[in-house]
Amino acid sequence: MHIVDGALSTPVIVAGSALAVAGIGLGLRQLPMEKMPAAAVLSGTFFVASLVHVPIGPSSVHLILNGLAGLVLGWAAFPALFVALLLQAVFFGFGGLTVLGVNTVDIALPAVLVGYLCRPGIIRSSPQVAAIWGAIGGALAIALTTVCVGIALAFSGEEFIAAAKLVFFAHTPIMAIEAAVTAAAVYLARRVKPELFAAVVGGGSVVP
Amino acid sequence: MKKAFAALLLALALAGGPSVPAWAHKVVAGAYASGDHIEGEIGFSDGSMARNAVVEVLAEDGTRLGAVKTGEDGSFTFTPTQRIVHIFHSDLGGGHIANIRMEVADLPALMAAAPSAGSAAPATAAAEAPAVASSGAVTDAQKVALADAVANEMKPLRKEIIALREKNDMQSILGGIGYILGLFGIGFYVAGWYRFRKA
Repeated sequence: MHIVDGALSTPVIVAGSALAVAGIGLGLRQLPMEKMPAAAVLSGTFFVASLVHVPIGPSSVHLILNGLAGLVLGWAAFPALFVALLLQAVFFGFGGLTVLGVNTVDIALPAVLVGYLCRPGIIRSSPQVAAIWGAIGGALAIALTTVCVGIALAFSGEEFIAAAKLVFFAHTPIMAIEAAVTAAAVYLARRVKPELFAAVVGGGSVVP
Repeated sequence: MKKAFAALLLALALAGGPSVPAWAHKVVAGAYASGDHIEGEIGFSDGSMARNAVVEVLAEDGTRLGAVKTGEDGSFTFTPTQRIVHIFHSDLGGGHIANIRMEVADLPALMAAAPSAGSAAPATAAAEAPAVASSGAVTDAQKVALADAVANEMKPLRKEIIALREKNDMQSILGGIGYILGLFGIGFYVAGWYRFRKA
């Protein structure tokens, strides 16, 4: 999921960085004080999730959990995931510093889209139905991320269909796992702390 | 509904499970001298190797010196002919790229030909060589055998070093979480300060 240094052409890196800056700016404006602890926890979750390897067949995949971040944070997922990606690049060497912007967009933009699509369903319905919305969101975020990665690679000269296919099919197991994990998290949050999702929409006092 | 959901999950897992080609965080690659050739290895940080990948061998200025293919175990060999910086480049698809740079000093000591040193140098070397051999020193064949033996001894060490480099220890994980909490703490402070000033 993390594109590495040197895999992308310069225009893609520049465009990705510009998009990431815009997204982070938007996200920071929509990150009131009340949401900051949740953002910190989800950022930390994303940071650690990539170290949780799930062995499948001959290979292994790791969790990403960007869908959950998008469902809870909306646009604020951008700064939260950016911080986690930055630290992953510095500490573990996942991705790289020049491609940080592209990676941020690849992972945070699907999270935001999933937030828009699935959050209304989570707020309105019963915890059981909310869990299904969570599962859809968790899987969809990964699917969209693979598409974004495919697009970034395609603009850098790789053939889109081949690149996207490779990334997409490599991630089908993780989609299933993320769906289950996100569903469980959403179900628990709806039971224990239902305002976690609602507070984002209501916003309360908006802090610059 | 639960059953349908479980069935969907299972179907997704089955559809993707066996067809995973190369899924990992990072590409792990290395190359080293062995006898008169260069041996290298390309794999992923989860332990799987890059099978049958094309590795392009480039000079520093981008000229192509040749290409090799990795075997089933992700290893490749290349016999260098020039004493210049070698760059091994392999695009493994899906945003995975292996780049190995080999400096002149790291090239095999026993090379088939070393034309870059000029025509005079090989001539003098050739003139000296028989003299050295006749005085009871090691022969070229012995040198090759020695280099091979050393390379074999070094192999597990190299593997261990690569494995060590890829290991994420508890310290960096906890450190990263600490950084995240600290950064958001600063954000919290700034937001609180804004709010305090407004009130």
